[in-house]
Amino acid sequence: MPKLFYRKKLEELEEKARPIHINSYWQLVWVKFRSHKLAMFGAVVLIIVVAFTIFGPLFVKVGYEDMDFSSLFKPPLSPGHPLGTDELGHDVLVRIMYGGRISLFVGLASSIITTLVGTLIGLLSGFYGGLIDRLLMRFVDVMLSIPMFPILLTLTLVFGSGIMNIILVLTVFGWMGVARLVRGLVLSIRETEYVMSARAMGVRSARIILRHVLPNVIPIVIVSATLNMSYAILSESSLSYLGLGIQPPMPSWGNMLQKAMNYILGTATGANPWWLTFFPGFFIFLTVLSVNFLGDGLRDALDPKFVSES
Amino acid sequence: MKVYFLKRFLELIPIFFAISIIIFVIMNSMPGDPLLQMRMQNPRAMANDPQRMKELREYYRLDDPLPLKYFTWLKSVITGDLGYSSMYKTPVIDLIASRLPNTLILTITAWLIGLAVALPIGILSAVKKYSFFDYTTTVFAFIGISLPSFWFALIAIIIFSVNLKWLPVSGMATYGVTGFWNVFADRLRYLILPAAVLGLVQVASWVRYIRTSLLEVLDQDYVRTAYAKGVPDRKVIIKHALKNAMIPIITIIALDIPYFFGGALIIETVFSWPGMGRLMYQAVISSDYNLAISCLMFLAIITLISNLIADLLYVLVDPRIRMGRKGA
Repeated sequence: MPKLFYRKKLEELEEKARPIHINSYWQLVWVKFRSHKLAMFGAVVLIIVVAFTIFGPLFVKVGYEDMDFSSLFKPPLSPGHPLGTDELGHDVLVRIMYGGRISLFVGLASSIITTLVGTLIGLLSGFYGGLIDRLLMRFVDVMLSIPMFPILLTLTLVFGSGIMNIILVLTVFGWMGVARLVRGLVLSIRETEYVMSARAMGVRSARIILRHVLPNVIPIVIVSATLNMSYAILSESSLSYLGLGIQPPMPSWGNMLQKAMNYILGTATGANPWWLTFFPGFFIFLTVLSVNFLGDGLRDALDPKFVSES
Repeated sequence: MKVYFLKRFLELIPIFFAISIIIFVIMNSMPGDPLLQMRMQNPRAMANDPQRMKELREYYRLDDPLPLKYFTWLKSVITGDLGYSSMYKTPVIDLIASRLPNTLILTITAWLIGLAVALPIGILSAVKKYSFFDYTTTVFAFIGISLPSFWFALIAIIIFSVNLKWLPVSGMATYGVTGFWNVFADRLRYLILPAAVLGLVQVASWVRYIRTSLLEVLDQDYVRTAYAKGVPDRKVIIKHALKNAMIPIITIIALDIPYFFGGALIIETVFSWPGMGRLMYQAVISSDYNLAISCLMFLAIITLISNLIADLLYVLVDPRIRMGRKGA
C-alpha cells in the first residue's frame, strides 16, 4: 500500500515536472493563467453570468415589464418563478437577466473607453514629456483630488441619467488612474536601449510608440481595464440604487435594489420579501468578484518579467 | 521641517483654484434658469413681470461674462457665503455646519472599527504568510472589495434590524429619550450598524496594505538580525517590524479619509443618517444646485486637507525622509 502510494505520488510529480513547450508570450500567459485557481473560477463564473444575461431572455416568454397580478411577492422556488416575484408581479429572474445586460454593458463600455482614453493620454504624456506632460499630470492631480462618488452624483444632475450619460460620466472621471499608470511605464520604457536604438536609426515617434512602447504597456493596461470594469459596475449600481442611474421601467441590478428598499421592513401583509434585496445584489457581487479574480490572475499571468526569464 | 510644511501647503493653493474652476464649470452647465426655478418654487411672490425679472437678473448678476461670474462666486465662497439652499430655504453654510458633526461621528467611529479589525488580521496574515489563515484572508479581501456597500448595508438591516430586531433600522435617535446615559446608549444603538458597515467595507483593502507593508519589513536585514540574536518573535514583530511597517500604513489610512466621506454618502442614505452625505444626496435629488455644489466643494477641500495630512504624517513618522530633506 505505501509503495503504491509513493509510486502514484512520484508519477504525479513527474507529470508536474514534465517540461511544457511554450512558443509564444500569449501561450505562456495562458499556461500561467490556467494555474491560477481563483482567476479560473472568476473567468468561468463571468462567462456563465454573461451567457445567462445574453441568452437567458431568449428562453423565457415573459419580458421585464410583464406583470402578473395573480402572483405578487411570491417567494423563490415558486412554480414558474425560480427567484420569486416583486410587488407588481414582475419575475425577479427575468429582471435580473435584463438588468444584467445593462449593468454589464455599462461596465464593459465605460471600462473600454476609460482605458483607451487613459492609455492615449498616458502615452502622450510619458513619451513627449516636457510641457505637455507637466500640464496633463497637473490636470490629473486636480481631477484625482475631487472626491469621486460625490462628483459622479453631481454630474448626473448636469448630464441627466440614462445609459449613455452614465457611461459618459464614468469616463470623464475615470481615465486618470490609467493615464498615470501608463505614463509611469512609458517613462521607463523611453529610456531603454531598444527605444534609443530605434531613435538613433531615425524611426518616427509615432512608429516607436506603436511598435515598441505600446506592446510593453498592454499587459498593465489590460489589468487596469478589468479593475476599471469592476469599479464601473459598482458605481453604476450605486448610482442606480440612489435613483440617479438607469431609470425604471428598465431594470438594472442597482435600481432593482432601490425598489426593494421600500419593502425592507416587510410588506403590508407582514411578509418579508428578502429575495428582492438579496438576488440583484448577489449578482452585482458575484460579477464584480469574478472580474476582480480575473484581474488578479491576469496580473500574475501577464507579468512580462517572466517572459525575460524564459 | 517648517519650510517643507509651508511648501506643501502653498502647493495646495493652485490645486484649490483648479478644482474650484472645474466645479464652477459644472455648476454653470446645470440645466435650467435659476430665476425661473425660483419663480416655480414661489409663484405668488414672483409674478411673471418682465421688468422685475430684468431687475433680478441684474441684481443676481446672471448676465455677467463667465470669468467675472467666477470671481464673484469665488469671493463669496472664500468669505464663507455659500448662498441659499432652495430646498431648505436656509443658508447653505448653516446646513453644512449642522450636518457635519453627524458625519464626523459616523466616519470616525467607522474608521476606528475598520482599523480595529484590519490591524490584527493584516499583521497575523503577514506573520503567518502562505498559511491557511493567510489564504482565507486573501479570499475574504477579494470578497470585501467586491461587495457593493449599499447591498451589504441592506442585508445587515434585514438581518440585525428586521429579523433579529437588535438594532434600529434607520435614523439617529429615538424621540423622547432623556438622561445622559440613556441618550448615550440610544445614540450608540443607532450608530453601530452604519458605522460597522462603513468601516468593514474598508477593511479588505487595508488588510492587503498592512500585509504587504509588514511583509516587506519582515524581509529586512535588521529583522533577520533580531531573530538571529534570539529576540522573541513577539518582540521582533511588535518592536522592530511593526514600527517600521506603520509608516506606509499610516499614509494609506490618512489618504483614505475622503473615501469615508464618499462611502458615507451611500451609507447615510441607506440608514437615513442625517449627515453631509445624505444632505448632498437630497440636494442632488431635488436639484438644489447651490447646496450640491457647496457640498462637493467642501468634500474636495477635505480631500485636499487629508492628502496634506498624509504627506505630513509620512514625513513626521519617517526620520529618513526628514533627514534627506534637511540634507538636500
